Amino acid sequence: MSGTQLVELILNGLITGSIYALVGSGIALVYGTTRVLNFAHGELMMLPGYGFLMLAVTLGWPVLLSAIATLVLVMVLGGLIQRVTIAPLLNREDWAFQVVAATIGLSIFLQSAAQLIWGEQFQGVPYFFSGVAVIGEVRMPWQRIAILLIALLVMGLCGLVLYRTQIGRIIRATAQDAEAALAVGIPSGRVHTMVFAISAGLAGTAAILLSPLVTVSPWMGASYLLKGFAVVILGGLGSFGGAVAAGFLLGLIESFGVAFVSSEWSSVISFIFLIAVIWARPEGLFAGRGQ
Amino acid sequence: MLDVFGRRPYLVLLVLALLLLAVPFLPLDDYILHILTLFLIFAVFATGWNLTLGILGLKTLGHHAFFAIGAYASALVSHYFGVSPWLTVWIGAIAASIAGIVIGFPILRIRSMPHVAIVTLAFAEIVRLVFSNLKEITRGELGFWGIPPFNPIEIGGTTIRFGLGNSFGSFAVAAVMFVAIHLLLLVLLRSRAGLTFLAIRDAEAAAESLGVRLAAWKLFAFGISAAVVGLSGAVYAHYVLILTPSSVAGPEMLISLLAMIIVGGVGRFFGPLYGALLLTVTSELLRDFGDYRMLLYGALIIVFVFAAPAGIAGLKPSLRRKPHQAASEPAEAV
Amino acid sequence: MLRLEDVSVHYGATRVLWDVSMEVGAGEIVAIMGPNGSGKSTVLKAAMGLKKPSSGVVTLDGEALQNRPATVRPQRGMSIVLERRRLFPRMSVEENIMLGGYARKAAEARETCKWVLDLLPEIKPHLNATAGKLSGGQQQMVAIARGLMANPRVLLMDEPFLGLSPAMVKTVCSIMQMINERGVAILFNEQNAKLSFSMSHRGYLLESGRVVLSGSGEEMLDHPEVKRVYLGIREAAA
Repeated sequence: MSGTQLVELILNGLITGSIYALVGSGIALVYGTTRVLNFAHGELMMLPGYGFLMLAVTLGWPVLLSAIATLVLVMVLGGLIQRVTIAPLLNREDWAFQVVAATIGLSIFLQSAAQLIWGEQFQGVPYFFSGVAVIGEVRMPWQRIAILLIALLVMGLCGLVLYRTQIGRIIRATAQDAEAALAVGIPSGRVHTMVFAISAGLAGTAAILLSPLVTVSPWMGASYLLKGFAVVILGGLGSFGGAVAAGFLLGLIESFGVAFVSSEWSSVISFIFLIAVIWARPEGLFAGRGQ
Repeated sequence: MLDVFGRRPYLVLLVLALLLLAVPFLPLDDYILHILTLFLIFAVFATGWNLTLGILGLKTLGHHAFFAIGAYASALVSHYFGVSPWLTVWIGAIAASIAGIVIGFPILRIRSMPHVAIVTLAFAEIVRLVFSNLKEITRGELGFWGIPPFNPIEIGGTTIRFGLGNSFGSFAVAAVMFVAIHLLLLVLLRSRAGLTFLAIRDAEAAAESLGVRLAAWKLFAFGISAAVVGLSGAVYAHYVLILTPSSVAGPEMLISLLAMIIVGGVGRFFGPLYGALLLTVTSELLRDFGDYRMLLYGALIIVFVFAAPAGIAGLKPSLRRKPHQAASEPAEAV
Repeated sequence: MLRLEDVSVHYGATRVLWDVSMEVGAGEIVAIMGPNGSGKSTVLKAAMGLKKPSSGVVTLDGEALQNRPATVRPQRGMSIVLERRRLFPRMSVEENIMLGGYARKAAEARETCKWVLDLLPEIKPHLNATAGKLSGGQQQMVAIARGLMANPRVLLMDEPFLGLSPAMVKTVCSIMQMINERGVAILFNEQNAKLSFSMSHRGYLLESGRVVLSGSGEEMLDHPEVKRVYLGIREAAA
């Protein structure tokens, strides 16, 4: 394999990985803080995908404005979903499974609704970064590099908020000991809603970044949900940083795997890797780098 | 135990068996028999899954993989090697059971529900992708057709035929499987094994402290559960005579079955039956409104989780002692 | 000041507290003593709102709080030092303490922090350490500091001496006295009768979720019933 090919493999792996990291870190954040597994997280990707499509293409708004508006809307939606479909279940004895079931129901409901509203045709958003970057012999469209850079930026921002701001401390306190957080006066209910909103923002970012490359469809999120879960487990359940690292790792594994095996097996490789890691090290690869 | 089985489970099963026996004598058209056959097959599937989900308490989301494995194993062996489906369905069940034990191992050590849920989901996805990618053998998403139906049986002077279109024969096979499997499971679960499963579900640590070898029992339950589901898958394959990976191992199957179990009642023995009946009927009625089917399933799951978490089985007015009466007996915390 | 009247608590169908009534007056140190499983922890959690009573009333200065969430307590002047410290393990000592002042305005919190650190100078060198890595005794002091940051008028302490060396026990004891000298009332749990009743103004003896005895610290120390339970503990340990 030539040097150029190697660099391209790595770059592609990191780019794919940044989407996995965005999706997975959102799920990890929610799980780490609230112990809730949100199976409708994929729809928090799909809906902003459509939202961005509507604003940027149908209404013709400028890309940046559409992106910001979409993110704000999906964050509100995320908070709403938490309040309406998850919070009421948390008092029940079997809440963990019931939340899983309810969010699965919600997920399929939203996918079907999207299909009925927008139809099955896959729709595209035009590239917002044009041109190709050339570094030595490596050629990569700017649109794809932008995914990596913007994802890093957004996740970095999240990390900054988590570790350097009061809000971040409140979130981490709730994640590390929910009862002690209550005891000092931190309103855990509101923290849960906020964390959901943040995770929606991360998923929305992924959707917006993907939309020119992958085309928007009702099942757009579903294909990333399971990968997102895999990333969360690999990273050590509940760890934001762990999920980010695991996301990039998974992207690299898939990228290199595809070099040796045809692409239709890439997901199989990822999932076998997941099961193998669980078998050997149930606490995840990066456990210990908790929130 | 009363919660799980109701008051006279054998009686209920007997009544169901008699009802099924009466069906061929009723003036029902083939389409209704078809729906009933599907209901019976999915009821067995749902009950098999409920064995793990509701009774053992292991929140797995990948049992449709066993359905697919049972279906494909039986279909492939009978198609490519000419073995009679009467034999291959057992191969399908065994294949599914082995797969169950294989995936059971990594899950065993995991105590956290999210891990179990996600790993089993990943497993199901692997199964789907494998069947989809091995196109030379399974023809992938194009569909594997040409599955032989069950060989005809001669009784007296009549020949009973099977497979789609031969509604009486297919119904009969499904009905026999339905009654037999439920009977076997009922016997199993009313025995010490069943009590052990429930003990593991309700208080794993306590069960372990009493000497229950958790790993062995979990594997046992998993294996049986997978075998039952695999059997239903195999029978399904030899009924509809065509398979695609997405239809049997994809998310739609997962959602349909999950809806059946939740609507019917997780953790209750007869719960899945109610769910399977309701949803199979609804699904056929909505056949023309394909897109609305999944919309409805999603809505049903949400509604039932919120309003009736114990499912239909839990709604039945019961003559048993109500839970809050127990509080008046002094039960002191140790 | 703080009153529990006929408080009962259920965990599911199991009843854990049976019509418990207790009082803490302003500036008092009150001890709850009892063996394991007597419900001591639950009393504090019910007072703090971390566990909702199934019946009964919890009032602070006349305001009924039993239906309010735990989060209003710090604002009203009541905070808790939880059993086994329960610091936020992966956050620094300083972050833990600052979070204790969550319910207060920033300026007030800074003021409080000053006197808290003066009261507990042993914490100062560890401000940047990760809380989970400290020793039991150090963690206990950080937990107390965190509890004090809400500027409480009554401080609840759940088994503050658990797992501490005898030297550390003495230290925590004197810290509690110092806190009390500032006018803060303390309601705490302890299994050791001598320790709990010798340092408190009043005490309660809890058995199987019921108050079986109450009185001043001295009365409780001399009481034959206390000696029975205390001896019971001693016999079991022997």
